[in-house]
Amino acid sequence: MKKIDDLAKSDIHMKILAFFHENQASIDTPRGVATWIREDRAKVKRALEDLVSLKVLVAHRATSTTGYGYTSSNTIISKVGRLLGKRKTS
Amino acid sequence: MAEEIKEGEYRQELFERLKKSISLKKEEECFGVCIKPALWWIIDRPHPKEIDLERAIYPNCPHLKKSRSSRRKRCLGDLASAVKNATSTKAVAKFECGEGLHGFVYPIFQGEKLYGYIGACYAKREISPSILNIFAAFTDTIIKEIQKELELSKLYETIRPRAIALSTVHTVHRLISSTLDLNELLPRIARLSLQIMRANRCSIKLVDSTRRVLLPKVTIDLRKKTTKLKKVRVGRYAPGKAVKFGRPIRGANYISVPLIDEDVIGVVTLYDKIDTKPFSAFDQEIMATLAEQAVIAIKNAQLYKEQEKLTMGSIRSLATILDSRAPGTFVPRASFLKIVIAMGQELRMDNGELKSLEYAALLHDAGQIALPDEVLSKPDKLTGAEYDMVKAHPAHSVEIIRHMKALKTVIPIILYHHENYDGSGYPKHLKKEQIPLGARIMAIIDAFEAMITKRPYREPKSIDAAIEEIRHNAGTQFDPKIVDLFLKVMKRRDIRQTLERELYEKNR
Repeated sequence: MKKIDDLAKSDIHMKILAFFHENQASIDTPRGVATWIREDRAKVKRALEDLVSLKVLVAHRATSTTGYGYTSSNTIISKVGRLLGKRKTS
Repeated sequence: MAEEIKEGEYRQELFERLKKSISLKKEEECFGVCIKPALWWIIDRPHPKEIDLERAIYPNCPHLKKSRSSRRKRCLGDLASAVKNATSTKAVAKFECGEGLHGFVYPIFQGEKLYGYIGACYAKREISPSILNIFAAFTDTIIKEIQKELELSKLYETIRPRAIALSTVHTVHRLISSTLDLNELLPRIARLSLQIMRANRCSIKLVDSTRRVLLPKVTIDLRKKTTKLKKVRVGRYAPGKAVKFGRPIRGANYISVPLIDEDVIGVVTLYDKIDTKPFSAFDQEIMATLAEQAVIAIKNAQLYKEQEKLTMGSIRSLATILDSRAPGTFVPRASFLKIVIAMGQELRMDNGELKSLEYAALLHDAGQIALPDEVLSKPDKLTGAEYDMVKAHPAHSVEIIRHMKALKTVIPIILYHHENYDGSGYPKHLKKEQIPLGARIMAIIDAFEAMITKRPYREPKSIDAAIEEIRHNAGTQFDPKIVDLFLKVMKRRDIRQTLERELYEKNR
């Protein structure tokens, strides 16, 4: 996945985006996010890393775990907002 | 007003679910068989006007569609009185319309609150009270089920954000308690604070020993690549005031929260929210929770650092005692520590592994304390028995340090640092990767040290000659990859200069 717009094709990526867009102050582990969006943990972990590479999410890495949080870039936040809005209306 | 909106939303949700309810559809089908042909309708408001009744019934009632307005009005009037009757009695009410057809109205109550009605008409026969009673009981159950579902989803909506916030607190706790290195911990706390508070800048300052000044430890600004670290006097600006008064200080674009253990140990300050909104009381609460976690992690890291200093101090003292057994020999310890750390860093070792190397560099020959003076300072070749005594020194070294838990990881480095890469070393004749990595590094350091320092039986070699000797023995005595690493490190000007300065200035 190279662009944020391409994320619309993936359900799991969109669910993660919706979760972080709605809970912008949240930091959670793959296990936590998987619980909130009711998806498989391994798939969520891969999707989270995809989103980190697109700079939509920030990874806080420690030896025991990684916490993922939403980007601070207003440009990316608005882009994601538009993408989620489109998905809702379609 | 907010209550009214909530009430309206609740009613809307209730009727949406009721209209979609499969149980209600089944009930209608079932009762439809008894009172056929029935026409079912739902009115989603209390005390409806005739116009509401007409809207609910008109599209499906064949009589109303073809009736004149006067007849239609009479029919709706009959229906309206049934609605009124059902409302006042809070029970199902029967009616007969102007066309001689029968129907009933069931009011939907929750406690004293009336929400709307379910009704049926267009039945050719009068509906018996027993059927109506059964209908009322069934409908009541269905509505209560929907109301329960609604309450549950309302509860879920209330609990979910709190559960997500709790999960964030838990994740932050795990992230900040997973390191005991202050240099790693403080930037991590700053980044997590920025993330949670959605702010642009975070600065962490710790109170100095005089308790007059706040020492800047970390500042992260998401808008800038570099930031300045500024000292602040206690009592000045928001951070200074937060420390002085021991409570959070909040302004529109900043919030300073003190880090309080038994006393105030520092302060976390956040500036400029990314959505440009002012910091709120809720932000202050969240930040206070984070500060409570941060202070525990900082205190743990500080204690660990103290403990490490104590351990290092004891080890250095022990090394000094050992050095004093060979008074004519000077060992440039600082340089060797620098070389060994540089080699470990090249291998991307973590802090724990680097510490082990450092301790091993100081203590690898501690076991020589067990050697008699005449062996230690013998200028001639050692006899077989004397050489056997020398070969036992790694085991003696381990014997000395094995009671210190902090040095557990150092044991394999010390025990095997005289093993040779080709298996010709001692004590276990280990080969290649069988020899622990730290021991392969220490083998080079030990040999290099032996060559460039003065020994009772020979004069020291030059640094270059010793390096050449190491290179020459790559693949036999030493791991060739580690030799390459050593050569790379020894090319570094800072390391070479430190070694020359320490070695030659001391010997001058």
